[in-house]
Amino acid sequence: MDLCELRKKLDGGDIGAVELTKEYLDRIKRFDGEINSYITVCEAEAIAQAEAAQQVIDKGGSKPMTGIPLSVKDNICTNGVRTTCASRMLEDHIPIYDASAVSRLKNENFVMLGKTNMDEFAMGGSSQTSYFGGPKNPYNTGYVTGGSSGGAAASVAAGLCAAALGSDTGGSVRQPSAFCGVTGLKPTYGTVSRWGLIAFASSLDQIGVCALSAADAGYVLNSICGRDCNDATTSPIPSGGYTSAVGSDISGIRIGVPKEFLDGSTDEVKAAVLEAAEYYRSLGCTVKECSLPSLEYAVSAYYLISSAEAASNLSRFDGIKYGHRSGLGEDYNELIKSSRSEGFGREVKRRIMLGNYALCSGYYDAYYNNARRIRTQIRKEYADIFSECDVILTPTAPSPAYRIGVQENDPVKMYQADICTVTVNIAGLPAISTTCGYSAEGMPIGMSLIGRAFDEKTIIAVCDRFERDHERRECVL
Amino acid sequence: MRYQPVIGLEIHCELLTNSKVFCTCQNEFGGSENTRVCPRCSGMPGTLPLLNQGAVRLAAKAGFATNCTVNGYSSFDRKNYFYPDLPKAYQITQFEHPICTDGHIDVAGGKRIRINRIHIEEDAGKLVHDDYEGVSLADYNRCGVPLIEIVTEPDFRSAEEVQDFVTQIAQRLKYAGVCDARMEQGSLRVDVNISIMPFGSEEFGTRAEIKNLNSVKSIGRAIEYEIQRQSEILDGGGKVVQETRRYNENRDDTKPLRSKEEAHDYRYFPEPDIPPVLLSEEDIEAIRKEMPELPHERSKRYTEEYGLPADDASLLTAQKEFSDFYDEAAASEPEYRMISNLMLGEVSHLLNETGSDITEVKFSPAELAKTAKLAADGTVSKGAAKEIVSIMFKDGGDPRRIAQEHGFIMDTDASGLDEVIDKVLAENADAAEKYKNGNAKLFGFIMGQAIKACGKSANPALIKEALNKKLQ
Amino acid sequence: MVDEKLTAHLAELSKLEFTDEELADMTKDMTDIIGLMDKVCGFESGAEPYTLEAADYKALREDKYEASYPSEDILRNADKVKNDSFVVPKVV
Repeated sequence: MDLCELRKKLDGGDIGAVELTKEYLDRIKRFDGEINSYITVCEAEAIAQAEAAQQVIDKGGSKPMTGIPLSVKDNICTNGVRTTCASRMLEDHIPIYDASAVSRLKNENFVMLGKTNMDEFAMGGSSQTSYFGGPKNPYNTGYVTGGSSGGAAASVAAGLCAAALGSDTGGSVRQPSAFCGVTGLKPTYGTVSRWGLIAFASSLDQIGVCALSAADAGYVLNSICGRDCNDATTSPIPSGGYTSAVGSDISGIRIGVPKEFLDGSTDEVKAAVLEAAEYYRSLGCTVKECSLPSLEYAVSAYYLISSAEAASNLSRFDGIKYGHRSGLGEDYNELIKSSRSEGFGREVKRRIMLGNYALCSGYYDAYYNNARRIRTQIRKEYADIFSECDVILTPTAPSPAYRIGVQENDPVKMYQADICTVTVNIAGLPAISTTCGYSAEGMPIGMSLIGRAFDEKTIIAVCDRFERDHERRECVL
Repeated sequence: MRYQPVIGLEIHCELLTNSKVFCTCQNEFGGSENTRVCPRCSGMPGTLPLLNQGAVRLAAKAGFATNCTVNGYSSFDRKNYFYPDLPKAYQITQFEHPICTDGHIDVAGGKRIRINRIHIEEDAGKLVHDDYEGVSLADYNRCGVPLIEIVTEPDFRSAEEVQDFVTQIAQRLKYAGVCDARMEQGSLRVDVNISIMPFGSEEFGTRAEIKNLNSVKSIGRAIEYEIQRQSEILDGGGKVVQETRRYNENRDDTKPLRSKEEAHDYRYFPEPDIPPVLLSEEDIEAIRKEMPELPHERSKRYTEEYGLPADDASLLTAQKEFSDFYDEAAASEPEYRMISNLMLGEVSHLLNETGSDITEVKFSPAELAKTAKLAADGTVSKGAAKEIVSIMFKDGGDPRRIAQEHGFIMDTDASGLDEVIDKVLAENADAAEKYKNGNAKLFGFIMGQAIKACGKSANPALIKEALNKKLQ
Repeated sequence: MVDEKLTAHLAELSKLEFTDEELADMTKDMTDIIGLMDKVCGFESGAEPYTLEAADYKALREDKYEASYPSEDILRNADKVKNDSFVVPKVV
């Protein structure tokens, strides 16, 4: 049942908001011990919110999200509910304000089931760097969920929420969605306010949605998008109406397939993506090969920019105003070093170190500034492609989900696996990932559709069309 | 050996905005600990800065006040360092593209001091040392108070030039409503970069940076101390160390300050949370139109149009309110010189004596102008005019009525005068005789006696005329 | 090639401390990672470094103040508080 239908059933009285929430809470109790998609479950709050939502519904005043139970990634601030970033640093951190995305949902009386697991400070592609232990893939609990929004994607895949808010800095909504066989939407930079999203890399971060379908993802986005006076980087361009093209004829749409993205992918992934291209061709879309020549620089540029910003963004964690405060350290300098060294995990430390390397004198121009030049170049190359195409089709990841414990200790390999997703953030574009096949091991394979800036509507419609003709395999818990 | 000092300044000024630079907390001095703080200015996770238009406007005005170019494009950067008064562990500032560039101010002697740039940044919080527990207590009320930093070229060659420059900057910023420029409260803070080199040399020496200068006087003393200190080092064959030093007013010396961060690598990079700011030509022009007449411009008007001596003009314009008062008075009666004399004489004297401010006086600029007019047209004497000012200062009132009530209106008919003069000359026959025999100095004495005899309404011009006749 | 001296310098900038063993591990990680990053040094083009799109002065926040947060909320997540202030050990 999609969210539109759920809305009708809630409004029509076929389903009660409290019963619906209790059903999800019950599933969380039954299954999340194994999946570990939630860090914090808000049972009492969720029921109270559902009761409030039901009252609104009973009065006939429901809004699109009223009574719909969502999960929220644990790097999105929730007033009075602990927000940990899956880090020891913020293990007990209770924000005193709501992220704008959350307050918009609260204005519609949504239900927040809890806060989902993730890579520590959203730095990773497996969610295994979580201080609270990594989540497990609902398709096969021996496999990673992907990351960093691994908990969000797993919570959707396992039916532990109706949809989920995640965040995407370099693929963190799309890649776990691909790994967990759900749909992940990363909006154009500036579409959703970052106010209250605990910053990883400010110029790349964007709140996104994991859902069971493209239409659902667009449905949720409609309620969280738009200019926010709290975030100067939100766009003044009018937002919303993201599902308005769903169901429309997509023949004539020009789909570009950049050859560089397929080169590094496994045969299974390549075959699944090319098959999807054939499917679109059969619908009357134009499918043509295109090129993003600077892709080879993308991973390095992405890691330099994101780590530089992260090093600065994470400097505020010193244990004094909030966060983990060490018992060691006689003076200020010693105290903050111990607090940070105890509070941050290894991957976070690597990124901070790398970021300071990129920014420190002597290296700044060769690394950080060159990464910024590459960013300009990649944006230009995308603009070139979009002068001839409406949508770009790529794999979401070079391979499907892998076994837990395989890649985590090889940072370079982990970083290189982000090749398919990072350019979208570098260029600030919208992209949506959906399942386009399954591996021999039965793990989902994801493809991504990238759109022009602020043209979420088109990629959602194109993605929706595919989803209607390709059945999603339910995961068996 | 005597050396040539080379000095440049960095001046931080707190802007007179209503709210802080990146959040909506009130911008105000003092207050109980952490009461003017929000998630933004205390750097809580997930928060983002929101640039205050008023801060940009005032920074542009500071540019206009110092002959800078106000740039259509300016942007923000992060300056990264750890210090407990800086909750985000970076200061948002303008590094690459400051709002104002290439200005200047001429100091006494006509020398031009170049201003390299003016940029916007945020102030840090305050640390109070708790000696009882041996800790510091961080208060973030001041975090995010908008600052501009004015950076000069190293164009100063003496303490006097620096003092004149700082005085002018403070005056101009106050006039423009940019900053209240209270050095003692820290709303204007001057850091002095100073080095010395042998006279005639073109190569600058190693500089020291002096902080904690909270008056123009301290600046002069600290510079003199530093010249002395560095000279002694060079004379002794030593080398000046590049460091930051703190001026101690009580000891009148400077001592090295511990550095904020050993590494000293601020890792500046463009602030990703704040889009660069575009000021259109119309925006810039609109801000320029809001600029009031500045002290040096007023001073020029006073000398050129009102014919005042340069010294008087600069005294009148030192304080904006004082100068505003003069302007209003001058507008009501064009007795420019007389009004100026009264303001710089009796009014200033009374203000000093009572420790009060021109904005608090009981008479209006028009009333002062009227008093000046009475003196100028001979209705009252200049001495009486001062007394009228003094009476108005104490109790207020209309100057002409005061003159009448106190009998200050000068006699205009000389009919009774001969009699009085004869009496005075008779009483001072000895002096009168000596004067006639050539002791010219005694005229003043006789004149004084005559004025006394005539009372409050004495008309010095008429008395002088009558005396001259009689003593021929 | 990253040596331990550079790693230690970066650790100081990052306000992180490592045991000798950790420092050696981190040095190896940094060597590998920076090896990957070196790719950007070979990038040549006339492209200018990317910057955010500029915003209009008129769209900036109007200069009005609003109520601040209660100090107890501001201090709520702090581990050590005294006199409504954050407690910081002596800065040496």
